[in-house]
Amino acid sequence: MKTMGRRSLVLILLAAGFFFGLGFFLRDLVLHGGFWAVQSFNGHLNGTGVAASGRVLDRGGAVLAQTKDGKRVYSPDLATRCAMLHAVGDTDGFISTSVQYNFRSELSGYSLVMGLATPTGKASGNDVTLTLDAGLCRLAREKLAGRNGLAAVCNYRTGELLCMVSTPDFDPQNPPKDLDTNKAYSGAYLNKVLSSTFTPGSVFKVVTAAAAIENITDLDSRVWNCNGSVVINGNRITDIGAYGTLHFKDALAKSSNVAFGQIAVELGSKLPAEADRMGFNRSFSLDGIPTAESVYDVKSASADQLAWSGVGQYTDMANPFHMLVLMDAAANGGTPVMPYLVKSVTSPAGLPLRVGAGETGPELIQPSTAERLKGYLRYNVTSQYGESLFPGLAVCAKTGTAEVGGGKAPNCWMMGFSSDEETPLAFVVMVENSSEGSVASAGRIASSLMTAAAKLAG
Amino acid sequence: MNLAFSLPSLASLVQGGISLLLFLLRVAVPVLAIVVAERCFRSLRLGRRREDPVMVLENRTTHAILPVLYWENSIGRSRSCDVVLRDQTASRAHAVLLRRESGWFVADTNSKAGTFVNGRRVRGREPVNPGDVIAMGSTALTLKRTADVGAPPPRPARRRAPSPAGLLFLTLLTQAMLAVQLAFAGGKFDAKPMLPLAALALLEWALYLYSMKMLGHVSFELETLAFLLCGVGLALQTGISVKDAYTQLCAVAAGVVLYRFLIWFLGDMDHAMRWRVAIGVTALVLFAVNLLLARSRNGARNWITVGPVSVQPSEFVKIAFVLVGTSTLDRLQTYKNLTGFIGFSALCMGALFLMRDFGTACIFFAGFLIIAFMRSGSVRTVSLALAVAALGAFLILKIKPYVAQRFEVWRHVWEHTGDEGYQQVRVLSYTASGGLFGVGLGRGCLRDVFAAENDLVFGVICEEMGILLAVVCVVVLALLAFYARSLASRSRSAFYSIAACAAGGMLLFQACLNVFGATDVLPLTGVTLPFLSLGGSSMVSVWGMLAFLKACDERTYAARRRKR
Repeated sequence: MKTMGRRSLVLILLAAGFFFGLGFFLRDLVLHGGFWAVQSFNGHLNGTGVAASGRVLDRGGAVLAQTKDGKRVYSPDLATRCAMLHAVGDTDGFISTSVQYNFRSELSGYSLVMGLATPTGKASGNDVTLTLDAGLCRLAREKLAGRNGLAAVCNYRTGELLCMVSTPDFDPQNPPKDLDTNKAYSGAYLNKVLSSTFTPGSVFKVVTAAAAIENITDLDSRVWNCNGSVVINGNRITDIGAYGTLHFKDALAKSSNVAFGQIAVELGSKLPAEADRMGFNRSFSLDGIPTAESVYDVKSASADQLAWSGVGQYTDMANPFHMLVLMDAAANGGTPVMPYLVKSVTSPAGLPLRVGAGETGPELIQPSTAERLKGYLRYNVTSQYGESLFPGLAVCAKTGTAEVGGGKAPNCWMMGFSSDEETPLAFVVMVENSSEGSVASAGRIASSLMTAAAKLAG
Repeated sequence: MNLAFSLPSLASLVQGGISLLLFLLRVAVPVLAIVVAERCFRSLRLGRRREDPVMVLENRTTHAILPVLYWENSIGRSRSCDVVLRDQTASRAHAVLLRRESGWFVADTNSKAGTFVNGRRVRGREPVNPGDVIAMGSTALTLKRTADVGAPPPRPARRRAPSPAGLLFLTLLTQAMLAVQLAFAGGKFDAKPMLPLAALALLEWALYLYSMKMLGHVSFELETLAFLLCGVGLALQTGISVKDAYTQLCAVAAGVVLYRFLIWFLGDMDHAMRWRVAIGVTALVLFAVNLLLARSRNGARNWITVGPVSVQPSEFVKIAFVLVGTSTLDRLQTYKNLTGFIGFSALCMGALFLMRDFGTACIFFAGFLIIAFMRSGSVRTVSLALAVAALGAFLILKIKPYVAQRFEVWRHVWEHTGDEGYQQVRVLSYTASGGLFGVGLGRGCLRDVFAAENDLVFGVICEEMGILLAVVCVVVLALLAFYARSLASRSRSAFYSIAACAAGGMLLFQACLNVFGATDVLPLTGVTLPFLSLGGSSMVSVWGMLAFLKACDERTYAARRRKR
């Protein structure tokens, strides 16, 4: 019988297998329970596709979305609904970078202990308050005036994202029938700030400038002869006009391709190294929502292609959120305070479950470089774009007019920040296919947004 | 603020109060279940006999005392024997000293030199009395009472086990709390859904009075645990369909009858051993009839319909399988090969494959491995069996592509929420939705998914009654296997040890397949969860398996012996 006792140990093996499996399942439950629960087929979620029963509010407490009688109801104001569409999300969950999609577990009120159940039997989700200001978003949308593009503003001290708008948009309360067929709505599901990349054009000169500051010792005493064009490796790099002999800061302010093309060639492999350091070829995240990667790749580029890449053409691509983080970094001495979107998640009883905060990001620019860059970007505004665009805000900025080819008008960019302690705001604006010029299109929008945001901050 | 919001109406206050009460009951049920389970297993542990020798063997020449610790004791030269002979002329496994109700016996197990009692050669089993001399090889041992050799008397046991009636009462309390939840499941109070649980309560107390008072048994822990699980299962089934609940209740009653019958039948293991061939043949005939008559249901041809009743023969063959597999120690030591049992197992599993019931085949295979190892102790045999099984599994995947399909979706269910992974993702989703305490009986959504009340029952318990209770239920099943193991050397015969370990192992393995299949830890196989799933044959068979565990506990037959 002793042997029976010993041989029966096989049952311990089986029991060990059982407890291992059970532990495995429970671990998965702890890790993924929120995801498991908030499926669109889940009958406990009032039949809303986004699986959300909690409210979404803007920073001022204005209700942007809530569930009433089992139906998802958005802001009563059409302009607000459209302006907040990409941040808040749609009912079907097609906008996968939205708060309603990414925070559906919080909105559903899911918790590991209670699941979706409540002691009182009344299901109620948590409130998600955003850092966004609905008024500012509405203004951005109004100023975009039906053109495709995007705008984002953040407070670079706190990291709060104040404005994030992408067009085209649609009304989430009454999605248009021809949403999927009408070309006017093409890209409407996309939050261009987070998920798109565009040819940067001259805004990329910020990167080339940073590399030049670090690698060309006599930068400020150097001059470039910019007489309209230069031939590199048999390819002609052109400017809009002949600027004559330019010092570095004027070359940046006038955005001379001739000067920056030559600088890029001179920098050689230093330039891709600087681009990588400044956040190209990697993804950032906004409260866990991943962004598209900016691209800078000159591995197989010839000298003329390298020159074009230095002025933001060639295969360069920039993600708007990344550009905003870059401006945030430049304003903060090289290390950004990462923007965030969710100010707080509170239970129906008002208990705060999560409070957002801007975390310190990776160092994108060396502190000394950031300081000099700031001076050049400030000079851009005072000498070229006009201080009147941003009265009293001491804005540092760079514009860009990116050629997109295919006979289309260029994409017009402006990105920058206020160097005034009182108004710690950074912005990025881009208007697609605009022939007005970057200051007239993106610049005007930035001007309105910064003025309005400054009032908000003040 | 709107005044109407701040002053809710009386009706909504009452509704809120009821909701809160139901929630508190959902918290209380698993807590109480934990208490019942803990006390039952503590009582089982305390009830185990301490390994004090009652008899000893005294060496005639050296006067060395060899304690006789077990009901069946192997004697031989091998160090794995219970009584080790330091005698080169003795065989490695020479003889077996057995204790039976009628006294002590010695059986020679094909030894070279033979075994002699008072000088007479032993053929088969020979009774021995205290004072008799057992000679094996050149060793002669005298059987003596422990008291006669002046050994200290066994210390009086201090056993303060929880009272069986008290434990059953606590179980009743969980069922009462479940019944209250059922009564309010529809929103308003309705007494009708309480009836199945009330009937179950009557059944459990009837069994209690019958076995504890009429038969004078001393233990009721296993039955209490089984009724605890049955109560949870029955409450769940009532919440889904009251009609099915009555079917389930009948199955429990039939199961209890089979349970009592088997305990009676297993009372004399030597008697039961003589029936093994007949039982084995009957089982195979049952399978043959099944294969000839069965209709295909959900892809598996494992049902026979006789009049209004549909039965799954494979569930009953499980019991026969354990019976055929087990054996007393003297027979094990005499006939060492496993050929007969391997042949029988192969036929059973072959039949199951023809019925396309691969889940049950897996359970049989697990039972086969346990029995084969318990009988032979040979890692080689088990490894060989596993290798053959691996080959078999490979062939099945080649021949039956729909089985392979289940493997393909395994661990990828979220990519198949609409097709092959449909059931699993819903189990996961609704499990998470329920939280620790569930959304409440009758308020679940998983019940509408195909096979929710049997294959996916773990998920339904999680959703409606909470993950905590579901985990408690399956852990109880795991602890049953531990319990079977702990009795393996203490039981009245190797016959019971092997049967209990096989039954406990098969129940746990079945629980693993069910729970882990539904939650995508393993591929979905479609077997029932013991005591909890809806299913008549399965419920009856599970009680039958429990009888093996009960029979293994020597206390089960203690009272009856005392009476004689």
